[in-house]
Amino acid sequence: MMKKLTLRILAVIFFVGSTTEIWAQTVAKELKADVNRTAGVFYSLPVTKEKDTPVPGGKKPFYINHYGCPASYYSLQPEDYEKPYAVFIQADSLGKLTKLGRDVLRRIKLVREDARNRSGELTEKGAQQSRQLMRQLVERFPDVFTEKGYYSGRSIVENHCILTMEHAMAQLSAMQHFSNYNSRATHRETNFLNPSDPTLTNRHTDSLTLVLYNRFADLQVDETRLMEALFTDQNFVITTIDPPTLSRQIFRLAGSIQHTELAGRVTLYDIFTPDELYHMWRQRNVWDYINYGACQLNGGDQPYLQRATLRNMIHMGDSMLNRYAPLVHTRYTKERVIMALACLMELDDCGVQTSNLDSLEHLGWANYRIAPKGGSIVMIHYRSERGDPDVLIKVLLNGKEARLPIYTDCAPYYHWRDVKYYYLRKLYRYENLRFNGNQNNR
Amino acid sequence: MRQIAILITFFLLALSPSKAQKVKDLIREKPAYASCNYNTYPDSIPDNLTPAPAGKKPFYLSHYGRHGSRYISNRSGFDIPYRMMLHADSVDELTQTGQRVLDEIQIIMADTEDRWGELTTYGKEQHRKIGRRLVERFPEIFCPGARVKAISTTVPRCIESMGTAITEMLQVEPNLQFSMEASKRTMHYMNHQDNRFRKKYMTPEAQKAYDDYTASRMGNSRLMELIFKNPDIVKEIVDEEHFNYYLMKMGLFQLNTHLSQNTYLRDLFLIDELYLMWQIDNALWYIQHGACKLNGSRQPYSQQWLLRQLIADADSCLQLKQPGAQLRYGHETVLLPLVCLLGINGYDLETDNLDELEEKGWWCSSVFPMGSNVQFVFYRSNPKDKDVLLKVLLNEQEATLPIPTDSAPYYHWTDFRRYCLEKLERYQ
Repeated sequence: MMKKLTLRILAVIFFVGSTTEIWAQTVAKELKADVNRTAGVFYSLPVTKEKDTPVPGGKKPFYINHYGCPASYYSLQPEDYEKPYAVFIQADSLGKLTKLGRDVLRRIKLVREDARNRSGELTEKGAQQSRQLMRQLVERFPDVFTEKGYYSGRSIVENHCILTMEHAMAQLSAMQHFSNYNSRATHRETNFLNPSDPTLTNRHTDSLTLVLYNRFADLQVDETRLMEALFTDQNFVITTIDPPTLSRQIFRLAGSIQHTELAGRVTLYDIFTPDELYHMWRQRNVWDYINYGACQLNGGDQPYLQRATLRNMIHMGDSMLNRYAPLVHTRYTKERVIMALACLMELDDCGVQTSNLDSLEHLGWANYRIAPKGGSIVMIHYRSERGDPDVLIKVLLNGKEARLPIYTDCAPYYHWRDVKYYYLRKLYRYENLRFNGNQNNR
Repeated sequence: MRQIAILITFFLLALSPSKAQKVKDLIREKPAYASCNYNTYPDSIPDNLTPAPAGKKPFYLSHYGRHGSRYISNRSGFDIPYRMMLHADSVDELTQTGQRVLDEIQIIMADTEDRWGELTTYGKEQHRKIGRRLVERFPEIFCPGARVKAISTTVPRCIESMGTAITEMLQVEPNLQFSMEASKRTMHYMNHQDNRFRKKYMTPEAQKAYDDYTASRMGNSRLMELIFKNPDIVKEIVDEEHFNYYLMKMGLFQLNTHLSQNTYLRDLFLIDELYLMWQIDNALWYIQHGACKLNGSRQPYSQQWLLRQLIADADSCLQLKQPGAQLRYGHETVLLPLVCLLGINGYDLETDNLDELEEKGWWCSSVFPMGSNVQFVFYRSNPKDKDVLLKVLLNEQEATLPIPTDSAPYYHWTDFRRYCLEKLERYQ
């Protein structure tokens, strides 16, 4: 009996151990398969063919509620290329660059030349990406896209988001005749398109969290190898350069190339070892988790930043129940909104709660899976006819059917009433605790 | 006696310039006309295009357009009358009408809050219609597979205007090969605001002429009496000229938004008062962007870079078999000087007498309403045809150029090109 139990426990331990190991391996594998993923939220989501599980009971989609990240765009900060460029130019003028260093300077020049005077602008690749994503949506859910449908686009007032929306709308227009169409970029809907909650965000890095993050970050990367590969004189490095900053800057720059026409012709990833890339990605992944995930170090409630967005999704779902004609809402907002929303909705592994920063990839929490450029959360509502009491929904995270933390008998489809119940309860509990509970504790 | 009176009336009518009458008529028909750059785009455009000379077909279209109707860019213009009214209200100086006016202002302020500078639904509608007409009027250019390159300034309402037009064009012809871009890289010609010109337009001579011209036209004591219990007392807190000017602007601005059905503020003003406002603004726009002799007639050259770009773009597009169209979305402060620089419809008028503007037809409201545009349509019989013709449409109506031609409103591209380059050369 005892032996049996031990065996069983051992088996469970082994099983749990092996699945987490598999997760960690998949992240590592994914990063290896496409090094661009190490860019995290600056990963440009490729448009791939996606599978749709057949809908139970012949239900048909009638409402699409879409929240999207902007498509590929040029880096917002000119410093991203100006600062490393300045360092390399200075080193070059003093003859301190190695052969590789000089070649890196040449490449940085190309990237800088391409990005100059375009900070924050949608790239040509981004424009294509936005159109392909809309094309895919129309082709996957033809029942929703009809002449009688109502099409609405909303964007925050940020040029790359507006242009992502305009390209998507234009693509839709080329595929579908419509009489009801409306799009707008406005500050009016910031309350749910890009909400702010300073009380909450001020808490994402308390001193303890910061200490733990810094320790985590310090253990990750040693820049000595890279500095020796780029600069001939380590004395120069010590006196003029801040190696962690420079290495981070080059890493960011390397990740930005995938959005531009330089992709495939120029790279900066090759100057890092796979191990260094992995660790630099981990560093950024953990930082994203602390800021937008349910990280237990800072209370685990950062995802609630998007509670108005989730509430709006639920309101919209309810108001569509009695509509006759299908409706499509597309909204474009910041990556961080999508990231926190995915965590709040606990899609796939986004909802993991942990205080162990080392365990994120074991638990499957990886930033490039959540909110890359061109990423989106799409909720699709299904019914058999108008007034159907059992509406089903399905959520796509970056185009793929996502798992919700809710019981269902027909995954990846979920019963709307269960979904509503779960999320509203979650929101009420948080709001109750925060606004009616002990203010000092929350 | 009666006969003499009739005779005198006839005599006076004959003397008064017919065009001055016309501006007032236009304002009577459409009060928005009085607000110059806040004027709204015509809801419909008469379809009266002159057929092209035998054998010539449209093959390329180059365009610069202003964004559609928008909310006012910033709150300062609205705040001026609003604060004056609040102040007067706090000391109980508002009449019953004044109270209602304050209520209306509050509605407008609440409606505009968080929307400063945003494109309105009406503005989108304008671009939808313009986009649709583009494709419908020139199916040879906007044929399946045609390239349509659209660029916009980096201002959101321009990007949205561009997106709306393109989306509607695709409804008519889904197979256009379109591109859209809003980049700081094109701002040097898409929205070139030359500080040398901006700062220097009000020369002492111009200032004097402007002051003389406006002195008799400013102010509105009738309005003051209508709104304030004791106009003399409120003078301490309400500047009559500012109040009149900005309240009228506020009333007229509403015509661009979804509150356009509510004309209470606009109706406070008599047609004559709106007309005076138009005269004041028209004169100022002329000094700022027209070829006004009082500041050296140089202002339109602020758009020399845009004109050079238009020519360079056309030069390269003319080499192509099927160049398609180039659409550009920007601002009225670019469009007006461009029209003046090109001398479209006589807007290159050079004068130092502000009284002449009206009778000589320099009416800015006709040039740059919200959604306004200039379209250059190119014609030839085949790609090898060296005699390319050009037609200019100002707000989709055929326009004239100060160039001789044997087939108006069509002009020879080579003549136009030479005219422009020589003009720019002389300026240099």
